[in-house]
Amino acid sequence: MDIAFFKQALGIAFSGVPLTLLVTVVTLIIALPVGFFLTLVRMKRIPVIHQLIGIYLSFIRGTPVIIQIFVLYNSIPLLIAGVAKGKFDVYAIHPIWYAFVIFSFGMAAIVAEIVRGALQTVDKGQLEAAYSVGLTVPQAYRRIILPQMLTAALPNLCTATVNLVKATSLGYAIALPEITLRTKVAANAGYHYVEAYTAIFIVYLLICLLIEYAFHKTEQRVRRYQGGIAC
Amino acid sequence: MLTVTNVHKAFGDNKILQGVDLAINKGDVVVILGPSGSGKTTLLRCLNFLEQADQGTATFSDLQVDLAKATRKEIYAVRQKTAFVFQNYNLFANKTALDNVTEGLITGRKWAKEAARQKAREALAKVGLNGKEDLYPSQLSGGQQQRVGIARALVLEPDIILFDEPTSALDPELVGEVLEVMKTIAQEGTTMLVVTHEMSFAKEVANHVIFMDGGRVVEQGDADAIFLRPKEERTKQFLRRVLPQEYNYQI
Repeated sequence: MDIAFFKQALGIAFSGVPLTLLVTVVTLIIALPVGFFLTLVRMKRIPVIHQLIGIYLSFIRGTPVIIQIFVLYNSIPLLIAGVAKGKFDVYAIHPIWYAFVIFSFGMAAIVAEIVRGALQTVDKGQLEAAYSVGLTVPQAYRRIILPQMLTAALPNLCTATVNLVKATSLGYAIALPEITLRTKVAANAGYHYVEAYTAIFIVYLLICLLIEYAFHKTEQRVRRYQGGIAC
Repeated sequence: MLTVTNVHKAFGDNKILQGVDLAINKGDVVVILGPSGSGKTTLLRCLNFLEQADQGTATFSDLQVDLAKATRKEIYAVRQKTAFVFQNYNLFANKTALDNVTEGLITGRKWAKEAARQKAREALAKVGLNGKEDLYPSQLSGGQQQRVGIARALVLEPDIILFDEPTSALDPELVGEVLEVMKTIAQEGTTMLVVTHEMSFAKEVANHVIFMDGGRVVEQGDADAIFLRPKEERTKQFLRRVLPQEYNYQI
C-alpha cells in the first residue's frame, strides 16, 4: 500500500465531490416535481397517458442504470443532431448535461413510485376535511396532504438519494469527471488501484452517511405532529 | 334556508338515494334517523359534494345548484356556506388544534392571521378546550378531537353545519361531552342537519326529525310526533328497536 499515493488519491477523490453533489442536487430538483406530477397524472387514469407512464416506469424499474446511461447517451445526440441539422456540434456538449438528463430520467420514475406509496398512507378523510372548510384542490394538497405524505416518503427518498449518489459513479461511462473517474485516471499512471478504490470508497461512504443524517434530522422535524410515534 | 329536492345517488347498481326532498329553515336543528344503509350519510355527503349525486338540486339561501352537474365554482361556493363535522373527526393530523380551526379562515377565507387566531381561540373556548390550542390531534382524546372538529366548523360561521354521526366513533363515556357542545350551539341558533343514532339528542334538541329508510324519507315531523305518534309501520318498528324500554309504552 502506497500511503503517499493514497493521501493524494483521497485529495483527488474529494475534488470530484462538488460535481457529484451538483449532479445529485440538480437531478433531485428536476425529478421531485416531475415524479410528483407523474403520479398525480397517473391517478387520474387518463387513457393512453396512463399506459405511457406505466411503460416508462417499468422501463426504468426493469433495466440497469448503466444500460439506461448507454441508451440515452447514444440516442440523445442523434435526436439533437436530427433537430439541429448541423447548426451546432452535438459532440461539444459537456457530459454533465447528459448526466442531468439521464439521472433525472431514472430518478423521476423512482420518485413517482415513492409518491404513489406515500399518498396512499394519507387518509382520504384529510382531503375531504380540507375541502369541507373551503380549501381549493391545490391548497388542500399543499397545506394538508403534502406535509403528511412527506413523513411516509422521507425514508424511501433517503434511500433513493443515496442510491442516486452512488449511481453517479457510473458517470465515468460518459466521461463525467466526478469522484470515480478522476481518481481512476490518477491511479492508471502507477497501477495504484487498491489505494484509489479505497479512497473512492471512503469518500462515497462519508457523503452517504451525511445524507442519511440530514434525512434523519428532517424526518424527526416533520414527524413532530405524530407525537408518541417513534421514528 | 336550505331546500333539497329529488336527490338520487347510486353506487353501481346499488341505489342509495331514491328521491329525497327536505327543507330546513334558519335556526332549525334537523335530525335524520334511520337504519344503516338508508342513505343518511350519503345524503349529507352529496350536499357538500363529497359525493356527486346522480340527480337533484339544492338551494342554499340564494344559491341554487344542480347536485349532479355543479361547476367547480359552484361547489366551492356551497362549501363556503356550509361546514361538515365528520364521524371520525378528520382533524388535520399535521396541525395543532388551533391551526385546525384557523385553516379554513386563513387559507379558505383569506382572513388576517391574528384575527383568525383570536376567533379560533374563542371557538375552542366555547367547546371547552382552553389550554389545548397547541396540542396535535394525536395528543387529544376522541371527544376532544370531535370538539375541535365542531369548533373548526363553527368558526366559519356557515349557514348550516352538517353533522355526520358525530358521536358514533366515540367511547360511550365521551359521547356526552360532544352532545353537550352540540346542544349549546343549537340553542344559540346554529342551523344544523344532524345524522345520528343518539335518540336522546334527537328528542331533546331537534325541532324536526326525519326518518329515512331505503333511500327515501319515510316520515318526518317534530320530535314528539315521530317518537310518540309515529304513523308508518317502518318507523314504529325502527323505534321499538332503538328506543330504551321506558318509552315503549307510549308507542
